[in-house]
Amino acid sequence: MKNNVLIIGGGPAGIEASAQLQRLGYNVILIEKGSSLGGHLSKWDRLFPDGVHADGVLSSMLKNMSGVKSFTDTQVKSINRLDKSYNVILSNGISVLADAVLLASGFTLFRAEKKEEYGYGIYDHVITNADLEAYFSIGSDSRIDKPKKIGFVHCVGSRDEKAGCRACSKVCCATAVKQACEMKEEFPDAEVYCFYMDLRMFGRHYEDLYLKAQKEYGVRFIRGRVAEVSENADGSLQVKAEDTFSSKPLKVTLDLLVLMAGMRPSDAGRRVGDLLGMSVEEDGFFAVRDSVTSNQRSPLPGVFLAGTATGPKTLPETIADARGASMEIDRYLTDVFPQASDYKKLIREKW
Amino acid sequence: MGKYYDLLMKDYRLKEGLNACINCGTCTAVCPAAEFYRYDPRRIVDIVQSKDDAEIEKLLRSDTIWYCGECMSCVTRCPRKNAPGLIVMALRSLSIDLGFFIDSEKGRQQYLLSKDLCSNILDYGYCVYPRRFDYAGHPESGRIWEWEEKHLDDVFDRLGGNLDGDGPGVMRKIPQEDLDELKRIFDETGATERMENVRKAGERKAEEMGLSIEEFSSKVYNETNPKHLNQ
Amino acid sequence: MIYEGKQKVWSDYQKDIPDDHYFYVRSCIRQSFFPASEVTFLDITRNRLGKDIFETEHHTTCGGIAYHSDTIPQETVMTIIARQFALMAKNGYENYVCSCITSFGLYCETMETWREFPEEEARIKDILWKTCKLDFAKPKYLIHASDLVYKYRNLIAAQAKHKLINVKTGKPLKVVEHIGCHYSKMFPSKGVGGAEYPYVLVGMIEAWGGEIVDYPERRHCCGFGFRQYFIKGNRGYSLSNTYKKFESMEPFHPDLIITNCPGCPYFMDRWQYVIAESTGRTYGEEGHGIPVLTYEEVAGLVMGYDPWDLGLQTHQIDSEPLLDKMGIEYDPAQKYAGKNGKDIGSPICPTCLK
Repeated sequence: MKNNVLIIGGGPAGIEASAQLQRLGYNVILIEKGSSLGGHLSKWDRLFPDGVHADGVLSSMLKNMSGVKSFTDTQVKSINRLDKSYNVILSNGISVLADAVLLASGFTLFRAEKKEEYGYGIYDHVITNADLEAYFSIGSDSRIDKPKKIGFVHCVGSRDEKAGCRACSKVCCATAVKQACEMKEEFPDAEVYCFYMDLRMFGRHYEDLYLKAQKEYGVRFIRGRVAEVSENADGSLQVKAEDTFSSKPLKVTLDLLVLMAGMRPSDAGRRVGDLLGMSVEEDGFFAVRDSVTSNQRSPLPGVFLAGTATGPKTLPETIADARGASMEIDRYLTDVFPQASDYKKLIREKW
Repeated sequence: MGKYYDLLMKDYRLKEGLNACINCGTCTAVCPAAEFYRYDPRRIVDIVQSKDDAEIEKLLRSDTIWYCGECMSCVTRCPRKNAPGLIVMALRSLSIDLGFFIDSEKGRQQYLLSKDLCSNILDYGYCVYPRRFDYAGHPESGRIWEWEEKHLDDVFDRLGGNLDGDGPGVMRKIPQEDLDELKRIFDETGATERMENVRKAGERKAEEMGLSIEEFSSKVYNETNPKHLNQ
Repeated sequence: MIYEGKQKVWSDYQKDIPDDHYFYVRSCIRQSFFPASEVTFLDITRNRLGKDIFETEHHTTCGGIAYHSDTIPQETVMTIIARQFALMAKNGYENYVCSCITSFGLYCETMETWREFPEEEARIKDILWKTCKLDFAKPKYLIHASDLVYKYRNLIAAQAKHKLINVKTGKPLKVVEHIGCHYSKMFPSKGVGGAEYPYVLVGMIEAWGGEIVDYPERRHCCGFGFRQYFIKGNRGYSLSNTYKKFESMEPFHPDLIITNCPGCPYFMDRWQYVIAESTGRTYGEEGHGIPVLTYEEVAGLVMGYDPWDLGLQTHQIDSEPLLDKMGIEYDPAQKYAGKNGKDIGSPICPTCLK
């Protein structure tokens, strides 16, 4: 009898881990509460820093999943520890005796309407980073109307005690610079501004992207957090920030404002975490066994974590994290269930 | 530890208002004073949190801390939950207690503010009292006030007020025993002491400048150096 | 502008407003410049809404203006406030209603400081006893007088003789609402609707038939600035901020401005006069200004009080164009008359402003 691994969450982390664990010989069951696999990746257009298309990345990841039993529109109803395993009852009525559980519940985008002073959902021409990705995928958005002056607001719902999130969401700066370049490509005559506090271009090729944004696309970078957005009579936006380099307040009129909404822990994930009794840290993401050497293991036995469920990550980091979690699960299962080696064999032909 | 910083930290407004500033500029972006004066609340908070004695002393003696209008627009949106407006109030309080306020043109104005507002409170129990609000010193109050001032009792009577009257009502005469309680509060909590110190500092400064008290008062009330403005 | 977005915000910031038995404290500036407003507020609350609202002649200023002009230390103002609260308790009340916005902000700030630093609260309690022999107390509910009118805006609408509608065109009046800074900027949760889209005046305007005007500088301070106004040399600050607001609202052609702070209507009224006289620029129709009214005055107009009983004659900007729009009758001959029609002359007309 093969051991069962239940993966909760069908985003990139869940997909990658499911493929890895299936390859290692386990019986993998993946559940996803939405109607399709892919998580936020399925709703994204292009990825930083090189502009790779998201749908290509997703489809190549999905191709490796053959053999995995995946269920969409499915959630955890109840979950109980039984001796060395977890008895999980799913919303589709199926019961799984999971010998290991991987929580890959991902993130929810910060609800930008909570930053009331930015007017998301109130003013006609304020959108979020996710809205903009959708615009690039679909091709239209009534709020984007031949803009001549476009602004990007960094740190919306991040690094903000008032929004309930002190943490930095890590990926929004690179996303903003990427999207700024893409907007310049879409609307070559438009002026594009990025309003930032710090520019977090930490990854490989990110500084190159920043340089390209400045030199090739002429994106203007203003070091000053957007304080207030108002609407003029004609629907254009009045944006106030300080140019901290010259120590003077400034006011710009823009046609479109893109809010870089941050990463918050997934609500659905929290619900499952509560069922399991998993602890979260002050930033709302799940606690890990050791923040340096054991990031994919939860303090609970047999429960593992991967992806943004433990904090903001880029896509490459999420994929690496999922592979790390797969290794941890493999080690755990072969320790706790020594008979596993009887059925395990590497499925070489896929690779 | 800077000694001025330590003194400031005794003020509850600093305890409430300073939570480590990340220099994002949100406060300055919406500050009414920053638009018109050479003023940047972000820099003030940064100087205070640096605990640098020399820089804080410069602030305490400068015009800079007197530009704020205490509207608290900066408090609403600071992402670190700081309150630059409260920090400025604490700086002003310290500047007055140390006597540094008298050095600057804007700071010196405390002489008149203290005299007028505190005497209104102690004499009448109100911060603003219509008989002491003269059209001559406030032409912007309009022709309407010019007229009203001449007929104050009649106007208040017409509108249902109780100007200087007994019992409850609009602009009533507040009983002497209540004014006495206010005076005792002033004495016990340091307000009387502050009034005295400000008055004496003003008189010393007038003498230093070779002006009579009337000339000094007039100068403090009317003058403003154009260099304060953000040109 | 997507109205539903604002409604979601408003539903997040509801405030508990008690329904009766209020202890009322007055405002220095309201009493000085808009005395009839406070008279009207009490009349409406007592006689039209049938509520118990009590005032003791022993209450004083809260000291807010002196505090924000940095002339008195924080402990002084906290003790004066403690005295006010003690008077409330002594008279058997626990619902505190203040007329001034700066006071409201200061009361909230003081209670918050006491909550965070109980040792300071204990100190003030001692000083209060030492100086006034009064027992320390804190209100169960602390509201601003505009919160009360907001709560009963529908009852007032039910008794309304006039609405905020232009009777000649049948269209709602375009109304700018201005909220005093100290109402919710420091503590957004203490204001109805929060700090970004306060609802306390919007609710009144909507209940009484008007249409809200939102303009870019809506949240901007009127510019009072305490010391920035009191000292003549600083007055440019105050004027410039009000000027900025008017330039921003002018493209929307408002018929009326309503405010809930005592100082703001004074400034927004008189600075229009100064701008007109010094530059010729006016913001109303045909050389008039935009009338700036207190919410008590607007409630009074809606309920059918005589405009001259409401004290509209003491504004520099004349309200007649607004009264005509609303179809309110008034006797021009009685505008500046004293009690019982006594002749007390009339003000000189401005040269530019009509």
